Amino acid sequence: MAAGLWKTFAASAVATALGLACLLQATALGNAFTTETLRRTEVANAPALVPDLAVHDAAGHGSTLRQLLAAGERVWIIDFVYTRCQTVCTTLGSVFQQLQLQIQERGLDGRVGLLSVSFDPAHDTADSLKAYGDRMRMDPAIWRVVTLSSALDRRELLDAFGIMVIPAPLGEFEHNAALHLVTASGMLVRIIDYDDARRALETALGVNP
Amino acid sequence: MSGVGWRPPSAWIGLSVCVLGSALSVPPARSLIEQSMVWHMVVQMPMLVAGGWLLAGSSIDRPGTRRFSDWNQYGLTGFIVSQLIAAYWMLPLTIDRAVVLPQADALKLLSLVACGGMLKASFTRSPAVLQMFFVGYAVSMLVSAGVFLATTDRRLCNAYSLDTQWNAGIGVAALGIALGCAWAWQLVRGNLQPARSS
Repeated sequence: MAAGLWKTFAASAVATALGLACLLQATALGNAFTTETLRRTEVANAPALVPDLAVHDAAGHGSTLRQLLAAGERVWIIDFVYTRCQTVCTTLGSVFQQLQLQIQERGLDGRVGLLSVSFDPAHDTADSLKAYGDRMRMDPAIWRVVTLSSALDRRELLDAFGIMVIPAPLGEFEHNAALHLVTASGMLVRIIDYDDARRALETALGVNP
Repeated sequence: MSGVGWRPPSAWIGLSVCVLGSALSVPPARSLIEQSMVWHMVVQMPMLVAGGWLLAGSSIDRPGTRRFSDWNQYGLTGFIVSQLIAAYWMLPLTIDRAVVLPQADALKLLSLVACGGMLKASFTRSPAVLQMFFVGYAVSMLVSAGVFLATTDRRLCNAYSLDTQWNAGIGVAALGIALGCAWAWQLVRGNLQPARSS
């Protein structure tokens, strides 16, 4: 009986230790309980190079993502949208409008750029990008919008930034939204909540482009 | 719960529940758990645990299983392991991972069936007081997690919409309450005397 109890206590202790180790491993030592916070923690700890995918802008002008980022010594704040979006992208749009205003007022246009990337190249033609830009009153010196030139690159783009897009009713998508800070050299250095635009801008100003 | 007059259901029922639960991870049924957190958390996961429970119920007296009983006196080890497995699969990020990564999903199937099996093995060995401790913990974990899922405005799983998250929260809380009631009912009926304590 007593020997049996010792065995049970030993087994319980080992099980507890292993179980807690699994839980700590899964949650980045208890720092992240959602996929969203986990990817933010991972990016902050280990910045990653974004993929060099072919994109084109509202004028139909093509380049690659990293070429676009490398134009000028700027830190970019990137968001992901699809232009038909009525929900979270509209919120993101107004967050970017506020950021654009602050960049204009503080004369930061040489230091911080804004980039909206559409993940829906099938619907977002150059014309819809242009309409989106007009609707958002984008200042082309600060804020640009592009989409993927090939729909085949969609998975790679979304995976690199940790975006998960799920179909929603009425042909819409639901997706996680955030502000992604990327350097001119193409390093994704930080992901910040979209309702914390002020911190995103201050963090961008502190990052070496 | 092996009270007097109760016979463990055949292994076939347990196996069928496990197979049905696992089938939700395979196309075309997989689209149910990919699109609905309710199907994932409130239907599939409890089915796997129930399947493991029923399967264990049919093999609990085999010599092969009894050899482990020294390591699971009063069901303590089994309770701890099953609690940890359940906690692991209630994290939003592991739920996401099970939707996106097939290997994580396979791990989920195996571990939840094991969780049910260990629960059954532990329940038959433990006195009501110890059961109360673990059932109470499980009920409070399920109800608080459910209420949180159902009331927060934050989308916790990238794989699921807020709507399905709210519904899943209600379902998880209801499961917790149902579990508590089922256990209390067994207690009242006097079915909770441990069959064996060693």
